[in-house]
Amino acid sequence: MVPALLAMVAPLLFKPLALAYEPESSPIDQIASNLGANGLPYALPIHPNLVHLTIGLFVIAIVFDVAGALYPLEKRVFRFLALPITRGGFHDVGWYNLLACCLITFFTVAAGFYEMLTAVPLPGVTSTFGLGSMTTMLWHGVGGVLLLAIITAMTVWRGFQRYAWRRDMGRQVQWLYLAVGMVMFAVMGLHGTLGAQMAAEFGVHITADQLLQAGADLRTALP
Amino acid sequence: MLNLLPPLNDHNLPWMDTIHPIVVHFVIAMALIAFVFDGIGVISRKPQLFEVSFWNLLFATGAIFVAIIFGQVEAGLAAPYGASRDILDIHTTIGWSLGGVLSLLTGWRYVLRNRDPQTLPATFVGAGAAVSALIVVQMILGDRLIWIYGLHTVKVVAAMREGLI
Repeated sequence: MVPALLAMVAPLLFKPLALAYEPESSPIDQIASNLGANGLPYALPIHPNLVHLTIGLFVIAIVFDVAGALYPLEKRVFRFLALPITRGGFHDVGWYNLLACCLITFFTVAAGFYEMLTAVPLPGVTSTFGLGSMTTMLWHGVGGVLLLAIITAMTVWRGFQRYAWRRDMGRQVQWLYLAVGMVMFAVMGLHGTLGAQMAAEFGVHITADQLLQAGADLRTALP
Repeated sequence: MLNLLPPLNDHNLPWMDTIHPIVVHFVIAMALIAFVFDGIGVISRKPQLFEVSFWNLLFATGAIFVAIIFGQVEAGLAAPYGASRDILDIHTTIGWSLGGVLSLLTGWRYVLRNRDPQTLPATFVGAGAAVSALIVVQMILGDRLIWIYGLHTVKVVAAMREGLI
């Protein structure tokens, strides 16, 4: 009884369904005529520029919270430098930079996804990490959303520390928060390297690379 | 003599990947956000933000000299072609100038902060706007070097070594 039932159901479960229709072409072809040689409707990609802000603001936010946490050790140095400092000032940098980072990173990820949709990596390339272009893009895309989620969660966490849990304390952040921040440096470094490989190795959205791939002579095509 | 230099990889670099674009994160982000926080601080009367922008500005100024050093080395190995040669020249000139301009701005800010950290004259915010505009111009020039001319990308370096460009 059971094997007979399985024999009936199994093909339905494991056989690929015949498509009711064949998509005529890849969706990128619908807008291909509006794209330049770099695969974008504009000259310079937006995502890599927003990335400056995401990475810069995040790193400096954590660095200044570390400086605030280690304040008792460093205050003598700053007195020697005739640079007036307050512990609260350091933590202000940690909080406001992270808040700005969180807001901007939504746009960073949005721009990244748009530009990934129109990405045409150079064929047959394997990155320094030994990955192909699709694998690199998937890691960078999924990782990007994950990083945004972590940055947002850390901003909420940071806000609770600042305005509720530790509002009357000199050290405004938990050691665990700083440790998570440090781990994020490593993750971001890895993630950013994948992104850099999209450009420098796979030639995504780089006019010169795409022109060379198309067989153009850069002396005339890009004078 | 030349054999004393380290070998160059397929990016035409003695290290894995370009470092200059990584260091400039800290110039671009910190200098621009300093201006933004100054603006918000003045408009919403939140002097707390002046302290935030002071530190960001100080960090941007420190970072720009590191960016210039790596920029010079990597520009020297970039083998620019066509119009990218002129862009690289202008980018280099503005880059060094920004080093001076940001130092001046930070010095001015240091004095203002020592006198009264609670207020910020409009002239400083205006100067910040001008410097921010210069940074955006510099960003666009740098963007053109990589995103249009593909300097230090594997494909362009290969073409350069084959004598195609």
